[in-house]
Amino acid sequence: MSQRFRIRWTKEGRTRFVSARDLTSVWERALRRADLPIAYSEGFTPHAKVSFPDALPVGVSSTGEYAELTFAAPILPVRDLGALSTSLPAGMDITTYLEVPDGAPKLARMLRATLWELVWPASDAAELTELLRRRCEELRRADQAEVIRHRPDGDRTIDVRPAVLELATFTRTTAPAQTRAEPTGSDAHTVLRAVLRNDGPTVRPTDLHAALSREDVAPPIATVRIAQGEAVPDGLREALSGEVERLVPDVDAEAA
Amino acid sequence: MLGTARTVIAPARLDGAERAEVRRPGAAATAPPSYWDALEPLLPRVKKPAQYVGGEHNQVVTGWGSAETRWLLCYPDTYEVGQPNQGIQILYEILNERPTALAERAYAPWTDLEALQREHGIPTFSLESHRPLWAFDVFGVTLPHELGHTNLLNLLDLGGISHRSDRRTIDDPIVVVGGHAAYNPEPLAPFIDVAVMGDGEQVAIDIDDCVRAFKRDREAGAPWGSGTQLTRHDLLVRLAAVEGCYVPAFYEARYHEDGRLRQVVPIQKGAPSLVPKRTIQDLEEWQYPRKQLVPMTETVHERFSVEIFRGCTRGCRFCQAGMITRPVRERRPETIQKLVEEGVKDTGFNEVGLLSLSSADHSAIAPIARDLADTYEGTVTSLSLPSTRVDAFNVTLSNELARNGRRTGLTFAPEAGSDRMRAVINKMVREEDLLQTAEIAFSEGWRHIKLYFMVGLPTERDEDVLAIAELGIKTYELARKHGKANKVTISVGGFVPKPHTPFQWAPQDSPEEIKRKLTMIRQTIKHHSGLKLRTNDPEEGVIEGLLARGDRRVAPAVERAWQLGARFDGWHEMPTLPTWRQAMDETDVDLAWFSYRERDEKEALPWDHLDSGLEKSWLWEDWEDARSDKQLDDCRWSACYDCGVCPGLSIEHDTGYSGGFQLPVLPSNLGGSQALPTTPERYAAGD
Repeated sequence: MSQRFRIRWTKEGRTRFVSARDLTSVWERALRRADLPIAYSEGFTPHAKVSFPDALPVGVSSTGEYAELTFAAPILPVRDLGALSTSLPAGMDITTYLEVPDGAPKLARMLRATLWELVWPASDAAELTELLRRRCEELRRADQAEVIRHRPDGDRTIDVRPAVLELATFTRTTAPAQTRAEPTGSDAHTVLRAVLRNDGPTVRPTDLHAALSREDVAPPIATVRIAQGEAVPDGLREALSGEVERLVPDVDAEAA
Repeated sequence: MLGTARTVIAPARLDGAERAEVRRPGAAATAPPSYWDALEPLLPRVKKPAQYVGGEHNQVVTGWGSAETRWLLCYPDTYEVGQPNQGIQILYEILNERPTALAERAYAPWTDLEALQREHGIPTFSLESHRPLWAFDVFGVTLPHELGHTNLLNLLDLGGISHRSDRRTIDDPIVVVGGHAAYNPEPLAPFIDVAVMGDGEQVAIDIDDCVRAFKRDREAGAPWGSGTQLTRHDLLVRLAAVEGCYVPAFYEARYHEDGRLRQVVPIQKGAPSLVPKRTIQDLEEWQYPRKQLVPMTETVHERFSVEIFRGCTRGCRFCQAGMITRPVRERRPETIQKLVEEGVKDTGFNEVGLLSLSSADHSAIAPIARDLADTYEGTVTSLSLPSTRVDAFNVTLSNELARNGRRTGLTFAPEAGSDRMRAVINKMVREEDLLQTAEIAFSEGWRHIKLYFMVGLPTERDEDVLAIAELGIKTYELARKHGKANKVTISVGGFVPKPHTPFQWAPQDSPEEIKRKLTMIRQTIKHHSGLKLRTNDPEEGVIEGLLARGDRRVAPAVERAWQLGARFDGWHEMPTLPTWRQAMDETDVDLAWFSYRERDEKEALPWDHLDSGLEKSWLWEDWEDARSDKQLDDCRWSACYDCGVCPGLSIEHDTGYSGGFQLPVLPSNLGGSQALPTTPERYAAGD
């Protein structure tokens, strides 16, 4: 009777400021507006059965968010997940779905790696790309790369190296769609793409930046979680579609 | 450092002629800049950034050139607190339904964003389009209480206009305030342009018509700068003629030599000597807000709310809301059912709130609650009824509403500890009734009772204060009888006298005195470890009390406090009282004189020229009754006692209690069937 779906969705535009703890109610209300038979947990304070594998830092864009939805009655996925996508706030869109058969491995096990993209402004792209390329090479060769993560409850030392599977730096001529902070159509931007493991201690894009910057590279103007799945040579096999997202996209390959 | 982003330069603030171009009606206007691009890079640096982005379900975005009049509606506190406000949502919907009007919303930025806004030149902005405050025609602000006054000044200043009315020009917005604290706007007199008395629905439309006509006349009139153009003064004169609108600049306060107020008199032709409040007779004609905004981030009330009636005649003498919103006007049960069903569907909220000042008093509350409980039985939608009435009926009602959930906490508000004190405040409940109600509640499975009290009430003696503790102990003993885990919490606040109430003449207790009384209670209950005491900071009422009953001479202290950095005066996180004390010192405002002094019958009050409908003579009579422990019945059920509201406004109670018309009772859709479909089946049936 019940039916489970795994979906890939986006968190872009204004919705990238919605925090992880607010997501559940945003989705529950969208499901109710779309009048879909989402299942609820038992008990006095029932919760909609919507689960998100991990939290995206507030302010970061994503085209690679995932969720698992359990419905209490069968749905017509194209129609109903389409309706759900429409009823979600602008910026949150469902892009892929997959019905989950019984006995399927946990969603988190399908998301062992993440393809991240960090983008810097156009001001000194050539120089910055070159610098980051060198730093990436050094990081690859290193055995460890410790950075300090500053937290309100105290600093923590993190070794970034074990999480790094792939790294690439290149220059791209189109501005990132996720930010309008930069005038579009201007000069080339420096782009860093990285495949990081999800199954070890958490390493965030900010940690990777810290490992590469040595305090002479500014924070990126945009950070995007592109997709999650399985690391493959030169890229990432996206969890739901099985398609390979290349570390250096074709359009950028020449520049790289 | 490589890769440093260029700072996005915020669009420049326009002035003078350029600003005039922005505010022209319709397509003739130049659209003002959006500050989103400048704001967005700053958002990762502030707390709870989602509160500043807008984009909620049911927000309305209208093109700048498609409107003749443009409103920025504001609740002068954080989004978290202000977003659920019904008043703003009602006006937002009414104005946006008008084809010629546009309304957007603004809230107060927290101090972290305010600092960044000032650093980067980003003005107070609307959530919908991130347009600057200075571009709008009307800045409409609700003042539900007095603790948003400094935020209001700050929003004006941050919004690119002068915080002082007399320094604003025709090219600046008109600043209009409404809500309960607008019933004494005198401490804000130099800063606001218009205060609106009473229900906002109809008068918002009247103001919109007035501003639109003015703008048309101005477009059609003399060329720019010719000297014969219509001025800001002309607009204010027209607004002063709208019923319910008070333009403080057109009045002068006169004082006796000893400092007492003599009178506030109009000094402008056409300004009424007594400004009447606006009242809508038939709530059925105003079924708002239907398209309620659904936040994407946490707020204080996340639910679909329906106002089930407006007004209250219980006559609690401390309660300003109950006095100024008379008479009682009920919404019909079938309308409530319809609004709830449509609203829950439209918003996706899983909680419904049935709002009013005393929701259990709706004449048809039992069938309303039954039908809604039937409709949502077996679903995850829960119902809540903010009622603090102390009687068995309230328990029955709560049982009905809690059908889907657990019987956790019930709240009652005896307000005072002793029978005598309750007679003084006209809260007609005897101790034996309260204890009996608590007994029923615990025996029916409720686990936690919260009791609300005040200290610092007029005529209060120490024995009355001790009675609060004793009543708490007695209730707690009952609780223990029915279960060791049962809890009782007594919540005690300091009383603040408010205008337009029988207690408007009463002295307010100093914070030291409140502190002493709270300590007495704490001492008395300390051996009852399961009985919890919650108190507010005794100093909290000081600013509220000063602003509630202050006159125009308090305005410099408001201004000074804001200049010294006072913001968010109601927040524990922001202890602004020392700032206020400094401001009062510097501006020679004598707190004791305004707050701790008893006024006599002859003394003119700063709000005498603002008519809440209540006769001052009746208020005085009721004040005298209070001081001789005499109670007064609710006029919904008993004879009229001539408070003055109904004949004054030529309207009357609209309830199902009177012999006149009877409200039809809607039969339950599902007939209260035992075989209610479960959630999945309900959905599946519709597939």
